[in-house]
Amino acid sequence: MITASRITKTYGTTRAVDDLSFEVRPGVVTGFLGPNGSGKSTTMRMVMGLDRPDSGAVTIDGKRFGDLRWPLREVGALLEAKALHPGRSAANHLLALAQTNSIPKSRVGEVLELVGLEGVAKRKVGKFSLGMSQRLGIASALLGDPGVLLFDEPVNGLDPEGILWVRNLLKSLASEGRTIFVSSHLMSEMAVTATDLVVIGRGQLIADTTVSDFISSNTEVTVLVRSPGAVQLADALRAAGAAVQGTDDGGLLVTGWDAARIGDVAHAAGIAVHELSPQQASLEEVFMDLTSDMVDYHGQTPAEV
Amino acid sequence: MTTATVTAAPPLPAIDHGHAGLGNQVVSEWTKLRSVRSTWICLAVVVVAGIGLSALVSNIEAGRWTHLGLVDRAQFDPVRFSQTGEFISQFVVGVLGALIVTSEYATGSIRTTLSTTSKRTTVLSAKLIVIGAVIFIVSEVTAFISFFVSQAVLLAHGGKALPAGSTILDQLHSATIPVVGIASDGAVRAVFLCGVYLTLLTLLACALGFVLRHTAGAISAFVGFLLVLPLVVSILPSSFSGSFERYLPSNLGLAMILVTSRKTDFAGVLLTPWVAAGVLAAYAAAAVVLAGVLLVRRDA
Repeated sequence: MITASRITKTYGTTRAVDDLSFEVRPGVVTGFLGPNGSGKSTTMRMVMGLDRPDSGAVTIDGKRFGDLRWPLREVGALLEAKALHPGRSAANHLLALAQTNSIPKSRVGEVLELVGLEGVAKRKVGKFSLGMSQRLGIASALLGDPGVLLFDEPVNGLDPEGILWVRNLLKSLASEGRTIFVSSHLMSEMAVTATDLVVIGRGQLIADTTVSDFISSNTEVTVLVRSPGAVQLADALRAAGAAVQGTDDGGLLVTGWDAARIGDVAHAAGIAVHELSPQQASLEEVFMDLTSDMVDYHGQTPAEV
Repeated sequence: MTTATVTAAPPLPAIDHGHAGLGNQVVSEWTKLRSVRSTWICLAVVVVAGIGLSALVSNIEAGRWTHLGLVDRAQFDPVRFSQTGEFISQFVVGVLGALIVTSEYATGSIRTTLSTTSKRTTVLSAKLIVIGAVIFIVSEVTAFISFFVSQAVLLAHGGKALPAGSTILDQLHSATIPVVGIASDGAVRAVFLCGVYLTLLTLLACALGFVLRHTAGAISAFVGFLLVLPLVVSILPSSFSGSFERYLPSNLGLAMILVTSRKTDFAGVLLTPWVAAGVLAAYAAAAVVLAGVLLVRRDA
């Protein structure tokens, strides 16, 4: 469990994080979304005790980072994949980390195998691709077998197979009851990986909800209707008070009404209906809508979601 | 190396006592230090330059003996010549001391390091302990080997050991190149303090690394402290600079390796060896305190 309580962080005149509160619960993957510069990395650094909030507090399982006795065994983080000494081997990098928290040396081999880097354990990390560095960063985070894990853009630089692997890994770690907090700019990726969502813009909370609630509460219900009597049906729907738009290929888009109500109107008018499908906005579309508002109308209080 | 299947690592046995402490960080810092090539290159330079340059200079000075005047013969210092390599080594150990900190800031891995402990000052302490111990051992061994090699060089040039208790005057009237034994007055202290000098400079450079968090900045500050500060002091009015000169790091280093009974033109100008060591230790301590305060206060 990660709990942020009204944290604020200012660098010079820039307010990177502004009165932000959220909770990340164990057992599910929680996605952390926001446009570039919205304060995601700053927030993650504050969770890890690296940056100190000006006010407010972040706790990990109820404890501040400074009160953890074996930090690596309680919280693991992948913040910057390339934050490695280029001349050190992967195995020695992990060994030095393991020694800080009395983690046995055998664990190094285990996590290297877990991320698929056992074959390059002795190679200098300066020769690693971004994808390999990401895997090594994931190995570092898992080294202490912690209950709370933070990943900042973990799929950056990974090939499709690697992305799938990270997705499965995050889900399996969550299913073991761990708290998984993962930021990404790939909103489509979060749509298939995360269950919960924390969305921020300009350092402020936009949403702290589940992925499905986030989409449904931020999009008007739109239903695509296809009918051989499209013109008559459009008239009938408009007469009944629905907002109807024609699509290029002869379909109708009805906004604000659910499929059942549209079907009833069609039935009453005696018009055949060939398709009646509710349209789900993608997470990406919802996110773009919300965050573009944050940029266009800055200073505005974020809408309660 | 690519696999789409997720195989969970076996669970790690928990520890329910104690906490991640200084001992853990010290072991980790040693792993980090020994696992990069730059460490071994720097240490090799300290050893090779230390012994090689000292032997070379002793050889050159011994070869000039017959051309030296009385004053130069009186100032012929077999102990000091045996530690000439220290001039090169002081920059090498400074670079290494700064690098073990600033290389972590350059890559960002300092944030990984700091997230392994709930108390940041243990990282500072561990780095100082490890680099301090390594440089102390290597530079002491080098200093003593340099001493014996240099004396052997002087002996090979026909030098003779002066009897115990001999003075500058005895040396002046002696016709042969003076050679000193390790048991002679002040020799052990001078050679030992040579290693102490390098160790204190290393600790100072390491602390500067934490203060400045940038390789070029920390090394520039370190070199400025050793080389530029004396220039600045030298252009001050002599009535003013005279009282400062003895506190310059380079003069502290000189004071530390001079054998007191041999002090001639330096007498009264330099501090005594142990006081000089104390002043240099105070400089290093001040830098370490500043580093500790900034490390705790600043965002990583």
